[in-house]
Amino acid sequence: MVESYISSLSAYVPELLACLVMVGLVILEATYSKIEDGKRGLFNLFSLLGLLAVAIVLLLQKSNSATTIFTGSMTIDLLASMAKLVMVIGTIGAFYLSWGSKDIADEQKGEFSILAVGVLIGGMILASANNMLMFYIGIETLSILSYAMASFKKNDDRSAEAGLKYALYGGISAGLMLFGMSHIFGVLGTIQFSEIAMKVTELQTQQLVILIPAFLFFFVGIGYKIACVPFHMWSPDVYEGSPLPVTAFFSIVPKVAGIAALLRVTQLFFAHESVLSHSWMATISVMAALTMTVGNVSAIGQRSMKRMLAYSSIGHSGVLMLCALVPGVEGQTAFLFYTFVYLFMTLLAFFMISAMNDTYGNDYFERFNGFAFRYPMMAILLTVVMLSLAGIPPLGGFVAKFRVLSIIIEKKFFTLAIITGINSVISLYYYLKVVRLMVFKPTETMEEIKTLSYVNQLIYFIIAIPVVWLGINWASVNGLLGVVSQSHH
Amino acid sequence: MISLPSYLFISFLLFVAGMFVMIARKNIVAILLGIELILNSAALNFVAYTKFVNNNLDGHIMSLFIIVIAAAEAAVGLAIVIRFYQLRESVHIDDATQLQS
Repeated sequence: MVESYISSLSAYVPELLACLVMVGLVILEATYSKIEDGKRGLFNLFSLLGLLAVAIVLLLQKSNSATTIFTGSMTIDLLASMAKLVMVIGTIGAFYLSWGSKDIADEQKGEFSILAVGVLIGGMILASANNMLMFYIGIETLSILSYAMASFKKNDDRSAEAGLKYALYGGISAGLMLFGMSHIFGVLGTIQFSEIAMKVTELQTQQLVILIPAFLFFFVGIGYKIACVPFHMWSPDVYEGSPLPVTAFFSIVPKVAGIAALLRVTQLFFAHESVLSHSWMATISVMAALTMTVGNVSAIGQRSMKRMLAYSSIGHSGVLMLCALVPGVEGQTAFLFYTFVYLFMTLLAFFMISAMNDTYGNDYFERFNGFAFRYPMMAILLTVVMLSLAGIPPLGGFVAKFRVLSIIIEKKFFTLAIITGINSVISLYYYLKVVRLMVFKPTETMEEIKTLSYVNQLIYFIIAIPVVWLGINWASVNGLLGVVSQSHH
Repeated sequence: MISLPSYLFISFLLFVAGMFVMIARKNIVAILLGIELILNSAALNFVAYTKFVNNNLDGHIMSLFIIVIAAAEAAVGLAIVIRFYQLRESVHIDDATQLQS
């Protein structure tokens, strides 16, 4: 017993390290709160190094075989490790964004880092949850801290409203999810995912009558976290009301964690044909189609870039949900590739918007008028990101979308593939709108944008490299993602 | 001896009451109360199923965690409601309409 516990701890190092980083940040924040000079530097350095250490441990830990730890309550496998890696990199990006951002008051930046690491821990738990209790704890750690982060601007009533909406929608969906879980537990008599997976293959009709609605309720909880369509109402409002670094953070960490959990649940429970798995798959495919369409169509009319990106991230989560339709390694690999590309594209887009927001106080599309003549390099980067988000070859976004499409076409979901293609075209309209404004509209002012210093430009350039590199040389990451697919075949 | 269906019926009533409160009431504090009702109905389900269907401790632990996490959620939720009240001087859900395009 003790030995299994200690060996479990050794597989749990990334989460423990993240917890230590959080504790260290709390202590630093408390100790240095009176000293103004040099405080931020030490604090930022510690948070950066801590998260880098977590990322390195995750890379070292990456293995192709799945291990269950803590008496089967968590699984550490490739999906979990890589999803965690994406989340950690996303958090580092949001940290960097917050250091320079004017959207968060200076005295609150410490709190932002602390809460962000907390959400990250929640996401890590959710990504490797292997029983209902861990699933619930993960989703709530993720959510409760997010409510506080959404209402971060102290004297801004829009921010308070964003937090309020997030909290109310979150509470309702957590309640529905638990109600569903309680009936799943009642009918199948266990909370362990592995035991549920064995029991769902042989069900009587009376059990199905309870289980189908129960699983539907269960889906609500995940669907809310990844903002899929009937449960997406909170997402644009929360994204708009939150400070910009928080929005960038929300569009990466909770989303990746939620979809990783959806993938795991689908893969465990519904890999075999049954009435239940058919209805689950039908739910996912309908919701994915709706999510893509509603997200992309609503993004067209937006005036604020942030809100446009909120809707576009809803569209992207629709595409990511398609990966869940293909249980197994193919779905996982496509999902991980997509999240890697999505991470860098989203971060870069948010960095640019943040520069505009800090200079002009808003992030309307018109702020990008004539941007190509003021900062040509940055305009090229933004164009690359927008084209990649729309899925234009030869960029990363195209390969990511192509991988998803190829696996779902292999499974004969032709309608879904067509819907994805149409949505890609719709999204091209609003992504290219930014490019059009940058190139063809005369600029209003030649004023210098302070955030776009040479150091920052260099960093943005480095972030843009993976977006292009993954598009041209996409086989290079197969070592990271695809070794597993060979070992399974 | 109370049977399992009675427990399930009570928890279902709690669930419906919670849903009704959330949909019908316009007061934000009342909506938070509705959420609590739903969480409690789920906790009651877990305990009842543990007693009648299987005898391990999973359900009990689950309901304990539900109680703790619901408390945390209510704390954060109420803090946000207070902030909202200070800024907007209202706890009416229809006043939270600044963020609609």
